[in-house]
Amino acid sequence: MGKVRVAFFDFACCEGCQLQVANMGESLLDVLGAIDVVEFREVMSEKSNDYDVAVIEGSITTPHAVERIKEIRKTAKILIAYGSCATIGGVNGMKNNFDLSDIRNYVYQDKARFFETIPTRAVHQVVPVDYFVHGCPVYLPEFVKVLKCALAGIPYRVPDSAVCTECKLNENECMYDKGITCLGPVTRAGCNSWCVNNGNICYGCRGMVTNPAENGAKDILEKYQIPLEWVENKMNMYNKAREQDTERNPDGKKC
Amino acid sequence: MTKSVILKKTELNHFIEALARSAAVVAPIAKGVKSFAFEEVRDGKTLSLKYIPTILPPKKYFMPQREKIQEFDRKAFRWTPVKENGFEKLVIFGVHTCDLSGIQFLNQVMGEDPKDVNYLARMEKITVIGLECNDYCDSYASCAVMKTHLPSGGYDLFFTELAGSFFVDVATPKGEAIVKGTGLFKDAGEVEKKEFENLRAKKEKIFRQEVKPANENLKGIFARSFRSEVWDDLDRRCVACGNCTNVCPTCYCFDIRDEMDLNLTTGARTRVWDSCQNEEFAKVAGGENFRGKRGARQRHRYMRKFNYPVDRFQRYSCTGCGRCSRTCMAKINLKETIDTLAEALS
Amino acid sequence: MTQSLLDSPYVVKAGKILNTKEMTNLEKYFAIELPGQEDLAHDPGQFVMVSLPGVGEAPISVSSSPTKKGSFELVVRRAGSVTGAMHKLGAGDTVGIRGPFGRGFPTKMLEGFDLLFIGGGCGNIPLHSLITFVLDNRSRFGKINILLGCKTPETRLFVDELTQWEQRSDIFVDSTVDQAGPGWKGKVGLITSLIPGVKIDPKRTYAVIVGPPIMYKFVIQELLKREIPDSQIVVSLERHMKCGVGKCGHCQIAQYYCCQDGPVFTYNEIRNNYEAL
Repeated sequence: MGKVRVAFFDFACCEGCQLQVANMGESLLDVLGAIDVVEFREVMSEKSNDYDVAVIEGSITTPHAVERIKEIRKTAKILIAYGSCATIGGVNGMKNNFDLSDIRNYVYQDKARFFETIPTRAVHQVVPVDYFVHGCPVYLPEFVKVLKCALAGIPYRVPDSAVCTECKLNENECMYDKGITCLGPVTRAGCNSWCVNNGNICYGCRGMVTNPAENGAKDILEKYQIPLEWVENKMNMYNKAREQDTERNPDGKKC
Repeated sequence: MTKSVILKKTELNHFIEALARSAAVVAPIAKGVKSFAFEEVRDGKTLSLKYIPTILPPKKYFMPQREKIQEFDRKAFRWTPVKENGFEKLVIFGVHTCDLSGIQFLNQVMGEDPKDVNYLARMEKITVIGLECNDYCDSYASCAVMKTHLPSGGYDLFFTELAGSFFVDVATPKGEAIVKGTGLFKDAGEVEKKEFENLRAKKEKIFRQEVKPANENLKGIFARSFRSEVWDDLDRRCVACGNCTNVCPTCYCFDIRDEMDLNLTTGARTRVWDSCQNEEFAKVAGGENFRGKRGARQRHRYMRKFNYPVDRFQRYSCTGCGRCSRTCMAKINLKETIDTLAEALS
Repeated sequence: MTQSLLDSPYVVKAGKILNTKEMTNLEKYFAIELPGQEDLAHDPGQFVMVSLPGVGEAPISVSSSPTKKGSFELVVRRAGSVTGAMHKLGAGDTVGIRGPFGRGFPTKMLEGFDLLFIGGGCGNIPLHSLITFVLDNRSRFGKINILLGCKTPETRLFVDELTQWEQRSDIFVDSTVDQAGPGWKGKVGLITSLIPGVKIDPKRTYAVIVGPPIMYKFVIQELLKREIPDSQIVVSLERHMKCGVGKCGHCQIAQYYCCQDGPVFTYNEIRNNYEAL
């Protein structure tokens, strides 16, 4: 049996998540030992229409992208949404804060008529997704874990607990204790509190936990005297496209 | 076989250095503005003698967050049990009495049949040096009502800080060996003994039952509070982040997970900390969740501290360290919960 | 007092799959043999932890009677990742086995009594272990009534055996499905609808009920109406066992560890347990 053929595709994104893979260093060799990369724009010029696993970076923002992702879905046995733009819409979702034609004119000015646009959608809002690798950028150890699950044909469950859980285990001093607002309490874990370990706050790039405690969260904001809009704005930086969800399915099951 | 000796405060640095020559030594060090953590030290200069309970309790050494228990080979269909210590010998210096009580509880649980072999193997390699709290760490603590403000075993050596020296109780042969091996201790004199007694007497005045009900009534209060409205209130407030259980010195719930290597043939089965506060903790494969509400999960956490362990282990498993309340962003406070429950029953 | 790692309760034995059979769309039957044909030595109602390396472990009720020697049987519903992966296996494949774990049905206590078995859905799997045990030791028990229910005709389990049981004159068997299409000749209705049809002497009857959580509530109500004492109503509860040895906390039902104190309980043990039913 030949190696599994994996293709990387990008939609609306910065390709920073693919860069993460390119930057993997030595463990990249282990990964390449397990798979055959047949398309990966950032590191190679070959293209292929014959692949088993499609790794999708970026969100769906144009009618053309909708057609393209549907075509990829038809070919791929397994489809992995990779990085925040693909899994939750990511920063591209901020577009959905505005009137679509206003924002189109604002960006493309007198050429706007050449650029068809639709509200930003995460990949699973357009085609079924088998695996989700959240994060901006993705957390590489999690990507490797998901890849192994995909190759072995077993499901991967994105943790549905808050980033706080992992942050506490890393014994970070709580940002709230330092007087800083952090989205850890409502954001899905799985990144090993990467940002907070390095002195930053959690920006919510992995999306919200399935069942965030809204009352509790409000209490916390009240107690730390944080206006709700601040948190909403912060959360919307990555999560605006959430509103495009019909049936949320964070666990990698087909939707 | 207890025996009291003295270590001059000026010798603490030498003492830690001496310990660090033959074992890994961990001690509380400051982390950020008002947090502390047990981390490895090589001398006595960086450690904090005055500290509020560390973010994670010393259970992290007895039962690591991730612990490999087996290696497997999918092709050969073989599982090999493994022990993963991460250290040959470990000395934990500066363990407060609340945390000593937590370690004692975990030892009891893991030593119960069927014994947890991995835990017990690690326990044997750890030396525990306690450190007395001469005053409250902060207002979250409830060690007096839990009767953990004074030492009652669970250590090899126990340090009490006096004006110029540490008054040291030598409790085990392991402790005795350290005292002899380092050669830094001398017998306690009358002056130090007197000073020690005065300190303990003073502590009796400082440490007072922090909640309204007395220790012996707690079990009854919780046993009669299954359907209390307090849990509805906590249901509204809790965000289910799981911090309260992760930082608890006596929470030991875990999950067992497999992870394959990239060759998809070999891999390891790992035990990882889990929390009964997590949404999915009591969910079965069919989808039914037996503690689907946050309030029910909070109740479960409390019951596991004040109710169930009394029947099973003849003790409370709350150590009064205050970590759960200190860490809770939603300000769920153990002392308040106890008082509210007690009041509702009176 | 260093303990050997081999004493660890997490040590796994290799169980060889002898044969399999698709029972329904969701349930698959496995006959499994331990190394050296060692007996599992289980009680009816006990469970094993089944391992698939790299995927994980799942608690599965043993469906065969301990009277069957040399191998044991599991009927596995595809519900999570382990059971999903298990469904892809066939004869000659290997799974890891730990156990048996838990407190099974009180077979000694049941001896001499009339028995009323009530099974719903995948509750019929652990119940099958007990029923076959009882039928293999028929003379030790009094009258036997078996009431079985499931969602649809397609989800019925152990259909062949059920037909055999129905032909026996020394037991009473009745079954129903919640819903059925036009071709179905059997009864349609909830399991509770079968209860009025059995004749019992409540004082000398043990009722053993295994089914989904919702079933217990209604069935127990009916049995109490029939004046079967609390202590003679036996249930088996499903929880999320992870370790099987009363440590990991997942399966806890208030003060009980379902994996050790259960999964079998008598109704009087859990009547006041606010997390049980």
